[in-house]
Amino acid sequence: MIPRWARDGRVLVGLVLLSAVLVVALLAPWLAGMAPDDQDLLATLLPASWQDGGDAAHWLGTDSLGRDVFARLLYGARVALTVAAIAAPGAMVAGTVAALLAGYLGGWFDWLVGRAVDVWMSFPPVILSLILMVGLGTGTRNVIFAIMLVDWTRFCRVLRAEVLVVARRDYVTAAGLVGFGHVRILLREVFPAIVPLLITLLTLEMGIAVVVEAILSFVGLGVKADEVAWGQMIADGRSTIYQAPFNLLAPVVAIFLTVAGFNLLGDGLRRSLDVRLLEGRG
Amino acid sequence: MVLSFARRLAAVGPILLVVSLLLFVALRLLPVDPAAMSMPPTATKVEIEAARSAMGLDRPLVEQYAIWLGQTLHGDFGTSIHMRRPVGGLLLETLPATIELSVAAMIVAGLLGIGGGLALFALRNRRGEAVAELTTTLMMSIPEFLWALLFIFLFGVLLSALPFTGRLDPGMTRPVVSGFLLLDALLVGRPDIYASALRHLLLPAAALGIAFAPPVMRVLRTSLVDVYQEDYIRQARLRGVGEARILLAHALKNAILPTLTLMGVQFGFLFGGSLLVEVIYAYPGMGNLMVDAVRNADLPIIQAVALTYCVVVLAITSAVDALVLLLNPRLRA
Repeated sequence: MIPRWARDGRVLVGLVLLSAVLVVALLAPWLAGMAPDDQDLLATLLPASWQDGGDAAHWLGTDSLGRDVFARLLYGARVALTVAAIAAPGAMVAGTVAALLAGYLGGWFDWLVGRAVDVWMSFPPVILSLILMVGLGTGTRNVIFAIMLVDWTRFCRVLRAEVLVVARRDYVTAAGLVGFGHVRILLREVFPAIVPLLITLLTLEMGIAVVVEAILSFVGLGVKADEVAWGQMIADGRSTIYQAPFNLLAPVVAIFLTVAGFNLLGDGLRRSLDVRLLEGRG
Repeated sequence: MVLSFARRLAAVGPILLVVSLLLFVALRLLPVDPAAMSMPPTATKVEIEAARSAMGLDRPLVEQYAIWLGQTLHGDFGTSIHMRRPVGGLLLETLPATIELSVAAMIVAGLLGIGGGLALFALRNRRGEAVAELTTTLMMSIPEFLWALLFIFLFGVLLSALPFTGRLDPGMTRPVVSGFLLLDALLVGRPDIYASALRHLLLPAAALGIAFAPPVMRVLRTSLVDVYQEDYIRQARLRGVGEARILLAHALKNAILPTLTLMGVQFGFLFGGSLLVEVIYAYPGMGNLMVDAVRNADLPIIQAVALTYCVVVLAITSAVDALVLLLNPRLRA
C-alpha cells in the first residue's frame, strides 16, 4: 500500500520540482554545453536567443562579463542544493539536541538554552548571518556554517515545546519506572514522537537555506567570486536589468521553483504526518 | 497585568547586555585591524601604533568593552573608519528611513493579510479553497527580496509605472526636520516632494509587505473558523443578524487577537527583512549602511547598526506583548 504522505498532491509536486532541480544540478556539465565562467567580452549582455540580436549559442543570453546565463543557472543549482543539503540537517541536529536536553532535563540547562534562544531571536537573521560572514569570510563552506549557527533556534524553539509535552506522557514516566536510563528514554521514547515535526521543519529549513545562500551571495558575502551562485547572478542582473532581463529573471524563477518545491513538500508532509491534524479531520 | 509586563521588560535589559557583549567579542576576533585601516597606506608602523593606542585598541578586551559600552550608553557610537563621520549621525539619518519603510510595509502586510484572511475564510468548504490555499503556499515561497526584484521588473521596467531607486526624484533635495521624509515634506509644505517620496516608497513597501502577508492570512482564517464554533455566533444568527455583520462586527473582533500577536512577531522579522529590500532599491536606510559597512569591514558602524536592529526588534516584541495583554482580558491575571 502507498503510504498516506505519498498520496498528497503537494508532496508529489514538491518532489517533482526538487527532483528536476537535482537532475539539473547533477547533469550541469552535460546540459550546459559550456563552462559557467567562460568570459567573452565581445559578447556581453546578449539577449535571449529568441529575441532580436540573440545568439543561438547562448540560449538565455549572457551577463555583463559575457558569461552564458543558462550555464550559470544550471551550475548555480549545485551550490544551492549543496547548501540546503548540508546546512539544514546541521541546524536540525544542533537545534534538536539542545531541545531534547532542555525539554527533558529542565532546570538550569533549560534556562540556559531558553536565554540563548532569546538572545539569538533578538537579532534579525539577516543581520546575524551578515556579521558571521564578515568573521568567517566568503565561501560555500562558511555559508553553510553561518546558516547552522543562525538557524538552530528555529528547530530548538518549536521542538523544546514538543519535548515538554511528550516527556510528561505516561509512557515516558513508565519507561523511567521500568528502570530505563535517560539516554535510552530520550532516544527510544521521546525522540520518535517528535520525528514527524522534525521532518517537516527540516524540509522548510532547506528552502530557507536556499534563500539565505542567495541573499548572502547577492550582497557579495556568500560564495567566493569564482564560484557560481544564483545570488551572484541576481546582483549582476539587477544592475543590467534594462539590457538583459533574463540575467535577472532566470535565477529569480530558479530560486522560486526550488523554494516552492521544499515548501510544498513540507506543507504536504505536515498535513499527512501530523497526528493531531489527522485526528481533527476525523 | 502591570507586574507581568514589567517582568517582561526587565528581561530585555540582560538580553541587550549579552547581545552587546557577543557583538563586541565577535567583531574583535575578526582578522582586521581598524587602526591600520583608518590610516593612509603610506603610514609607518609607529604611526599605526599611535593610532591604535589613541583608539584604545592596545588595552585589554574587557576594558575596551567597558569603554565602548559606556560611550554607547551616552549616545556616542564612535567614528566610522571608512567614511570618517560620527556613527551616531549616520544612524540618525538612516534609522527614520528604515522605520518609514518598515511601517509602510507593515500596513501593506496588515491590509493584505486581513483582506486575504477574510477571503480565505469566505472560500472555506467551497470549490476555490484548494486553489486559494495553494496560492498562499506558493506566495510563502517568495521571500521579500524576490518580490522586490519581481516588482522592479514588472512595475519599474515593463510598465515604467513607478521609480525603483532611492527615496526621491533626482534633483529634489530632502527637507530635514524629523528625518521621516513623508512627515517632513508635509511640515515644510511641499506636496511635490511628498508625492515623489510616496511613489518611491510604494514598490519597496509593497515588496516587503506582501512577503509577510500569507502567514497573517492563514492565522486569521484559522481563528475565524474557531470563533465560528462559539455559541454567540449562533445566537447572533438566531437574533437575525446578517452574515456580513456577524463576520465583521462579531467574529472578527475576537479572531483578530491571535492575528495581531502574529503581526507583532512578523513586524520584528519584517524590520530585519527591510535590509535586503533597501539594498535592492538603493534606499538609503540602515540596511544599506550596514551592507556597505560590512563590505568595508567598518567595525564601529557594524556594531552600532547591529545593536540598533536588536533594540528595535526587542522594543517591537515588548510593545506587542503589552498590546496583547491590554486587548485580551483572559491574559490579565
